[in-house]
Amino acid sequence: MATLEIKNLHVEVKDEEKKVYKKILKGVNLTMHTGEIHAIMGPNGTGKSTLSETIMGNPKYRVTEGQILLNGENVLDMTVDERARKGLFLAMQYPAEVPGVTNAEFLRAAINARRPKDDPIPVMDFIKELNKNMALLDMNDSMTERYLNQGFSGGEKKRNEILQMLMIKPTFGILDEIDSGLDIDALRVVSRGVNAMRGDNFGALMITHYQRLLNYIVPDVVHVMMDGRVVKDGGPDLAKKLEQEGYAGLRDELGLDIKLVDED
Amino acid sequence: MLSKTTFQELSSKYNEPDWLINERLEAFNLIEKLLLPKMQQFKYSDWPLTINDDFALEQSALKISDNSELEENKVICQDIFEASKQYPEIVQKYLNSVSHFNEDKLLAYNTAFMNNGLFLYIPDNVEIQEPIEIEIVQNSMSKSALISHIVIVVGKNSKAKFIQHLSTVGHEKNLANLVVEVQALAGSNVEFSSLDEMEENTTLYFNRRANLARDAHVEWNVAFMNDCNTVGDLASELLGEGSYAYSKAIAITTGNQKVAVNNRVINRGPHSTGLINQRGVLLEDSRLIFNGIGQIVHGAHGSKADQQNRVLMMSDTAQGDANPLLLIDENDVIAAHAASVGPVDPIQMNYLMSRGIPYAQAERMVIHGFLDPVLGAIPKGKVKDRMLAISERKLINGQRSYYKNKK
Ligand SMILES: Nc1ncnc2c1ncn2[C@@H]1O[C@H](COP(=O)(O)OP(=O)(O)O)[C@@H](O)[C@H]1O
Ligand SMILES: [Mg+2]
Repeated sequence: MATLEIKNLHVEVKDEEKKVYKKILKGVNLTMHTGEIHAIMGPNGTGKSTLSETIMGNPKYRVTEGQILLNGENVLDMTVDERARKGLFLAMQYPAEVPGVTNAEFLRAAINARRPKDDPIPVMDFIKELNKNMALLDMNDSMTERYLNQGFSGGEKKRNEILQMLMIKPTFGILDEIDSGLDIDALRVVSRGVNAMRGDNFGALMITHYQRLLNYIVPDVVHVMMDGRVVKDGGPDLAKKLEQEGYAGLRDELGLDIKLVDED
Repeated sequence: MLSKTTFQELSSKYNEPDWLINERLEAFNLIEKLLLPKMQQFKYSDWPLTINDDFALEQSALKISDNSELEENKVICQDIFEASKQYPEIVQKYLNSVSHFNEDKLLAYNTAFMNNGLFLYIPDNVEIQEPIEIEIVQNSMSKSALISHIVIVVGKNSKAKFIQHLSTVGHEKNLANLVVEVQALAGSNVEFSSLDEMEENTTLYFNRRANLARDAHVEWNVAFMNDCNTVGDLASELLGEGSYAYSKAIAITTGNQKVAVNNRVINRGPHSTGLINQRGVLLEDSRLIFNGIGQIVHGAHGSKADQQNRVLMMSDTAQGDANPLLLIDENDVIAAHAASVGPVDPIQMNYLMSRGIPYAQAERMVIHGFLDPVLGAIPKGKVKDRMLAISERKLINGQRSYYKNKK
């Protein structure tokens, strides 16, 4: 069993316009194991994407305090690619477009980065695995030869993130708003992909704004984040409760003095 | 000094018709009088581009891929000296009809001392499916200049693709002077790709130019992958109404290499479209200048000119310039340009690395993407594979010295 621990994590980000650092995460604590699906819910602007980008190691975010441990090993000293090869994966909220690099070429490079130099994945094995996963996600064959995310619709990009996760088979998958902008059919397909990964050797951290996704991928644990902290933990019922009462309701119940960005 | 003897030996060697000998003579007399072609912000007057001692009379290494379509469609595809004897009228009509030997010193030099060449004539209403491959290898096992001249005529409403591949064997210090003229007749459709990979000790001048008649369509995909100093001009003259040219060039420069390219599109016909897209990657101590020159002359109303010139700096000691120049002499036109000089995109880098791809490899992938307007447009096949292999090798070497210096 693998473990991902986030301890008292404080993160700031540089505001490019004002040239000042802004505190976003203010002491996040969270522990998860393989075999579990966790969900993080929270209002917009709370720091959910910041948390996921920081776990993955995006250099834009600066950790000022706290730790992130993967099986007890400090990942903060590792580069993004090292973290990925250690088993972390982030399905991004806004995946980058990379012209000139085909989806297939990219996937093969990502898989081979995890294998010894002299032992790349055999072409037939790769194609078989790719076809299987594309079928699972109802993806068109033409997607393999298209340039990475270039000109993909929002829904195609999300499917492509899940395809990568299925191909790379990480230990922990962090899915940042994988449901945003998806219609109900696409949501079903994407969920099918994530559920196919479920098992003893995989853990997921699903970040979402809405409870809807959690009907398709039922979490074991739900965390609620507000203003850069986890303010409440619970089971799937917590998500349902939030859906009914809203974030403001929970905030008032907990007696927190936080202004939500969507509220005037 | 240029020698008259060499020149005379050369013209008699090929047993040339009188008109060609006369053209050579005329050109020869102009060499000393004419100036070097002007390159914005670039000096190269000390380059050995007009020497002529140890002259080779013969540079026979020009090959065309087997292509049964050519014969079926009555395409003339011949050594230029043979063609000038066998088809004197059309060769005389088209040789020096796009670029002219009285324009500058290096074009005059080319006509006077031409020792390699090809004449390719595609009749009207013919569609050639397979790309026509033109392979030119300079023999630098010994002192010998390569002075090459290719004339391509694509007939009315005809369609063809060309791939030129230039390379060197041997390591002698030699000059190469390469001229390509393309006459794209009315309604024709021409794609001209080139992989230039001349050896480090070569000094290269090129002049590739197309004249476009009414509704003609020309696309250039030129990859400057040479290891040598290079200067030259890639140009499209949009003469006919509704003609369209897309002039794309990429370069990877390394070592102490100096490269200057003028990429010009001239809108003369009304409703013509001229697009320029140039992408350069600079490594080590190299210097690269991409001048994008879009000119819209008076009378070319309803025309469009657009250009992008971008260079990526992969070294702190390289020097790169992407200069857009728009010369507009007509009101009713759309013209735009973008230029940039910068490092690789950090967002793309982070994305690739977040999938486990190491920094250096991710960087090369992003750069391949940056060069894709040309790399992606070259027809699949040997030349393309070769091009990808060369660019990968150049980038790996360049990265190695860059990251060594960083540490
Ligand atoms: N790269 C950045 N530059 C400046 N501000 C940022 C950046 N990333 C996030 N922020 C700010 O940090 C806060 C949290 O953002 P984010 O982590 O995206 O929240 P969430 O994903 O919960 O909506 C917001 O106020 C946002 O504007
Ligand atoms: Mg977010």
